[in-house]
This record gives sequence, structure tokens and C-alpha cells, in this order.
Amino acid sequence: MTTKDIGPKNAVQKGAEGTIDYVDERTGVKTGTRWFLFRNIPAGTSWFQTLGFTAMVVFGMQAITGIILAMYYVPDTRGGAYESIQRITEEVTWGWLVRGMHKWGASVMIIIVFLHMARVFIWGAYKYPRELTWVTGAMLLLLTMFMGLTGYLLVWDQKAYWATVVAVNIFASAPIVGPYIGDILRAGPEFGPSTLSRFYSIHMLVIPAGIATFIGLHLYFIVRLGISEPPWSKRRLRIERDEEDARRKAARERAKELPGAVNYPATWPAKAEEAAR
Amino acid sequence: MKPADKRAYDKDYANAKKTGKPFFPYAIFKDTIIAGLTVVSIIVLAIVVKVEVGEPVNPATTDFVPRPEWYFYFAFELLKIFANQDVLTPVIMATFMVPNIMIILLVVWPFIDRGPERRIWKRPFAMGLVVIVTGMLCYLTYLGAQTPAGVAKGGLPVSGLDEEATKGMAVYIANGCGSCHMVAGVGAPGPGPDLTNEGAKGWDNAKMVAWLKAPKAPMPSYASLSPADLEALATFVNGLGTKYK
Repeated sequence: MTTKDIGPKNAVQKGAEGTIDYVDERTGVKTGTRWFLFRNIPAGTSWFQTLGFTAMVVFGMQAITGIILAMYYVPDTRGGAYESIQRITEEVTWGWLVRGMHKWGASVMIIIVFLHMARVFIWGAYKYPRELTWVTGAMLLLLTMFMGLTGYLLVWDQKAYWATVVAVNIFASAPIVGPYIGDILRAGPEFGPSTLSRFYSIHMLVIPAGIATFIGLHLYFIVRLGISEPPWSKRRLRIERDEEDARRKAARERAKELPGAVNYPATWPAKAEEAAR
Repeated sequence: MKPADKRAYDKDYANAKKTGKPFFPYAIFKDTIIAGLTVVSIIVLAIVVKVEVGEPVNPATTDFVPRPEWYFYFAFELLKIFANQDVLTPVIMATFMVPNIMIILLVVWPFIDRGPERRIWKRPFAMGLVVIVTGMLCYLTYLGAQTPAGVAKGGLPVSGLDEEATKGMAVYIANGCGSCHMVAGVGAPGPGPDLTNEGAKGWDNAKMVAWLKAPKAPMPSYASLSPADLEALATFVNGLGTKYK
């Protein structure tokens, strides 16, 4: 055991270190990794603070299953879209599972994102200095909802079609810009073949790009500002107890100096505080 | 938040970090467990509750209750609430005002609530908001999840129909108007308004046909129906509650 670090290094180890150094010199990857992975977080970090990461993992799962579905899906209303969904569900190996995961993943993602938001809200974690982290998170929630809305039409069955007709009409009912938004979403005044390919493009290119951008910003803010501490962490509770003790002690001291004050024994702190009021 | 509060928070958080633990592996460990469990439960759900293929799209028959995914049920129910009160609270409230106000409040919330307090029991207003909003969302989602009333496939309890109106009722049923409208207690209670007394408005057929071709959102357009069908449908709807009861 004593002679291990003497003599020439193992060639593989030397090569690996050389490669890492070469890359680090040009990219700063070592500093970056240290900044990202080995930063300190408050000791009392709770299980509730895993929901953001979980939402990100589910998004990754949606991306992978979505890519697989895109390999078989045909966004053609004139016999193609519906048939390709049928083929994915009934013929393609594991197709039913991938489609099922994508569909259930959407519902689970909405739930996780909502729970994550509730946790941040209840803990007051959106307060200084994390206001902009909340704003990017709210954008991610909206984009996730739009993901559900646009993805729903792609299966091209009756339920999806009529629900989306109503949804697009709702967007089109907005004052002034509404009709334009409606035309943009429908790719024209009527629902038709171009509507489906437009929704397909929005669902798999536009919104994912937006989500990826906002996840990047969200993560950068989190690493830069640090994850918030639970408001009732052991450390916080200890500080609050100490502050409370100091306040009581000061009250007792004040009581002693009041004219005509009785010097209550230290075993009667409550009485002393009463006198101080 | 006052500058002093900001400095106090920064100092306190720096202390928390100093006495903390590294992100890797402590946080990553918990993250991986919860994320892993979530992915496994998605796979289990996908295996147990298999996806189905619905009926193919047929834009000619609207014989279908337009129902969104469950996470939009609350918005759908909001439409129903505002659908029957077009005078005081127009539908635009449900389709535009309410959602946009909610979205704006959501985004700017940290700039509204700027106090330094983070403890739950010291923020009764914010906690009350959590309970009310979550409760409302759950209740509306629950309402939306209820199986919709029949889409009036079997006919409507309306009497006194003449020949044209009988034809109009057939058009009404065939096109699934009952998936959004109710007549004499039959059909879905929304998002469209109750048509039991529609005739009381005193519209003529030309006005009704124009409406059916280009209605106000979220109602879809029925311009694809034949002129004869539109005319019959207009006759039927315009007589509801007056001629045909």
C-alpha cells in the first residue's frame, strides 16, 4: 500500500487525465462540474424538493417516447394520421407501450408540475432572490399545458377533433388579436389538413424548444441562487428559538429597570415579562 | 422587501449553505428515487390502463361530446358556468378574462407578495389562497369528470312539431347539438346555453341561419350543413318554448 504513488503512472490513467486536462483547458468543464454538482445546499433539504427534478425527468421521458412515436406517425388527415395511430397501437412492437407512456406521461407531468408549484408557493420560495425563477417556472407550466392541448389533436379521433375545435374557438374569441390567433392555429379559416400538420409542428418543434430554453434558465437560476431552505429546517428553528429567548431576556432586563419594579426571581420569567408590558 | 431584509436573507442563506451538504450526492440521491418511482408508475399505468384508438374524425357529424383532456376540465366547466348568462357575464369572461387574469396573477405573484416572511403560519392570506384555488380547481375538475348527460340521441320531449320542425329536430339530433345544449332537461348542460326557451328571443330564420353559419365562440360553425337542413334547424330552434313545448 505504501509504494502506490511512486513511479510512472499507469498509461491509461495518464491518458485519461491528459484528455480531461485538454478538454478543461478549452471548456472549463472541471470548474463547471464543480459549480453544478459539488455546490453546497442547505442541510435540511426536503423530499418535497425533488419534484422539480422529477418534472424534468418526465419531460425527458416524453421527449424520448415522442421521438419514437414521430418515427411512425403520419400527420396526414387524408388517411394517414388516424391509421398510423392505429398501427402504432396495434402492430408496431411495443408501440402500445410507448404511446401509453407518452399519454400517461403527459398527465403525470401536469400533476408533478402543479405539485412542484404548490410546494414553492407554500414555502414562500418564490421570494427574494428567486422571483425570476418563479417567472420561468410559470412559463414552463403554461408551455406544458399547451403541450397537452396541441398533442391531444394528433390522435385525430372524434373526441380530440371536437375538443380542439372548441379550444381553438376559445382562443379566437379573444378581443382584437383573437381572430388572427385562430387563423394562425388553424392555418386558415377552417379546420383542415394544414391544421393537423401545424399542430404537429407546434407540438414537436416549437413548444419543446421553448420548454428546453426555460428549463435551461430555470436551472441556471437555481444553481446560481441555490435551492431554498425549508422554512422550518432545524437550523431555522434553532435561530428562531434563540431570537425568542433573547427577546424574553431583554424584556426581563427592562422590567428590572422600571421605577418601583419588583425584582421577581429568575424562576418567574413570565411574571417579569408581564410587568414589562 | 427592504434592503435590510434582503441583506439579512442573503447572510442567513450563506450560513445555511456553509453548514450544508454538497448537492452531489445528497440531493441527487433523493431526486433519483422520486423521479425513478414516477417513471416506473408511468410505465405501470401504461401497461395496466392501455391506450385506445377512438372513432376516426368525421367533421360532418358532430354527434360527439367535445371533452378535453382531464387537466382542462376546469376551463371547460368555467365555460358552462358563464354560458347561460350572456347579458351580465358574457362568455368572454370565461374564455378570455378569467383565464388571462389567472395567468397574469400567476406570473407576477412574486412581485405582489414581497414580504420577507416564509413561515406558513405567518402567511394566512397566501395559505388561504392555496386552499381556495386548489379546492376550486379540484371541484371544477371533479364536475368536468362527471359523465355528461345523454346527447339527446333518442329524441327530445318536445310536442306540437310540424313537418319542418320534425325535420329540424332530426338535424339537431344528428349533428349532436345535444352534446353542448339542453332542451327541456335533455342534453348536456353546457358549454352551450339551455335552448328550452330559445323561441322567446323572437329571432327570424335568416338570423338563426346566419348565427349557425358563424356563431360566437366557442360554438363551432355549421356552415357545412345543407341550406335546407339549416332552414329546418332554424325553424325548430326558433320555435322552442313558444310553438313547440
